[in-house]
Amino acid sequence: MKFEKNTFKKRLSSMLAVDFRRAFTSPLYYLMVGISLVIPILILVMVTMMDGSVSVNPQTGEETIMKGFDTVWQIIGSAGGAGAMSMDITSMCNINMMYFAVAVFVCIFISDDFRSGYAKNLFTVRSKKDDYIISKMAISFVAGASMLIAFFIGSMIGGKVAGLSFDLGSVSAANVVMSMLSKIFLVSIFAAIFVMAAVIAKQKLWLSILLSLGIGMLFFTMVPIITPLDAGIVNVILCLVGGAIFSVGIGIGSYHILRKTNIV
Amino acid sequence: MNAIEIRNLTKSFGEKLALSGLNMTVPEGSIYGFIGENGSGKSTTEKIICGLIHKTGGSVKLYDKDHTDIDVRASVGVLIESPGCYPGYSVWNNLMLQATNLRLKNKEDEVRKVLKLVRMEGAASNKFKNCSLGMKQRIGIAMALLGNPKLLVLDEPINGLDADGMRIMREILTDIAKSGSTVLVSSHILGELEKIATHYGIIRGGKMIVEMTAEELENSCPTFVALQTKDLKNTKEVLEKKYSKVRYDEEKEYLRVYDAESPEEVAKFLYDNKIIINELKTDKIGLEEYYINLMNDKEGK
Repeated sequence: MKFEKNTFKKRLSSMLAVDFRRAFTSPLYYLMVGISLVIPILILVMVTMMDGSVSVNPQTGEETIMKGFDTVWQIIGSAGGAGAMSMDITSMCNINMMYFAVAVFVCIFISDDFRSGYAKNLFTVRSKKDDYIISKMAISFVAGASMLIAFFIGSMIGGKVAGLSFDLGSVSAANVVMSMLSKIFLVSIFAAIFVMAAVIAKQKLWLSILLSLGIGMLFFTMVPIITPLDAGIVNVILCLVGGAIFSVGIGIGSYHILRKTNIV
Repeated sequence: MNAIEIRNLTKSFGEKLALSGLNMTVPEGSIYGFIGENGSGKSTTEKIICGLIHKTGGSVKLYDKDHTDIDVRASVGVLIESPGCYPGYSVWNNLMLQATNLRLKNKEDEVRKVLKLVRMEGAASNKFKNCSLGMKQRIGIAMALLGNPKLLVLDEPINGLDADGMRIMREILTDIAKSGSTVLVSSHILGELEKIATHYGIIRGGKMIVEMTAEELENSCPTFVALQTKDLKNTKEVLEKKYSKVRYDEEKEYLRVYDAESPEEVAKFLYDNKIIINELKTDKIGLEEYYINLMNDKEGK
């Protein structure tokens, strides 16, 4: 009996087609992108409303003045990454939160394969799992990039609504573009981590989210440092090359985990 | 050529041995009825064949190639335990995804074809999670049939199907086998299996205890004379004076005489003993009874 040759190219193209078709026909993707669009609007409007308000500690009587955003760009990043380590609301509530939202998307997307039992259809006809991992990392990267772009657009809308300054100061528009590009390339590392966590946890969604957030947290601190608002071409290259190397390495790890473990 | 050839297959889950040296041969083009009690290892075997779980030892070959061969595995259709469909997606979208997964050329036509085959054309736009159990089972079968697989592995495919669904399923599986494909089907509904299977394998405790063709089963099932009278208890006592193998069939409320030469002989004997017979016929034990007897023999009952 003759069987059609099932090359890597054929397997990968069909797996990508399945994942992209699934992502773009499911509410999950649009919901996550929608949330990414709305969050910055809410943050910018609410923080601006609370700007200058005073809260008093009833025990010590100490007064704290709420500090809001000075410019809309602060929600995208801080120049030189200096704000990365501070704990005020402007450095906590910014675009970098989106990496955790990507984790939620990736974990639900992959976990659904196993929880629904669709993984049985997938892996019966594809005994090698490399195409699965590559495809999941690709869709996770695309979803993550879409969410970051949606957040950026939402920030512009939110800044306009809140009446914040759009003054770039010492930073140029090119710097902002490179900062965004760096953040987008950095998604590939996080996507690879989240895919690995989801592959380890399989149908246990809670475990995949827990692992993703846990492992992601270790890498999270590097985000504001290597993707500041005044990012240059070096930052872009660093994120691109680092993203490629890390995602390939982590992807190989995920492939071996999936290959060595039972699917159902 | 054999579609499936398994030799000394073992599988353990920690300390528990699920399969212990299983041998199995499924000829190409056959409908292989895979029978066994719950926990005997049927699903484990099927999952190993489809590469969903790893074997501990032994060999599994599909069409003379290792079961991990990517080219062979692309021609396997599967329905194990429950249909693998995304609950929030429509039936149509689920099938289209699988058609994409299989790289089918005319996806929409292929999906329409299998939906028609399982009589689910009208439910294409329904969300999978809103379908009834029987509908879900039919969709699972449609999913397995996409792309005309050369080997179909079906675990309890008739569970949840109504009488019409079972009939459709019989027709589909028979047609598939006629086209040269092979079907491995496990089921607890042995009466239905008996109508379509060309080969049988009975598994117990992770080991194959019998493999045979439908003809061999037919030959190993004994015939008997079945009769009904007004007073079965008295009739049984009378019959036992002449025959040594007289059994009472509780389910059908019949008496069975296994060592009679003909129904006429039994009729004459009862007539001589002034017992009026309501019904008299020759019958044969089926797969279900053969299986139960075999299991009882193994347990020493």
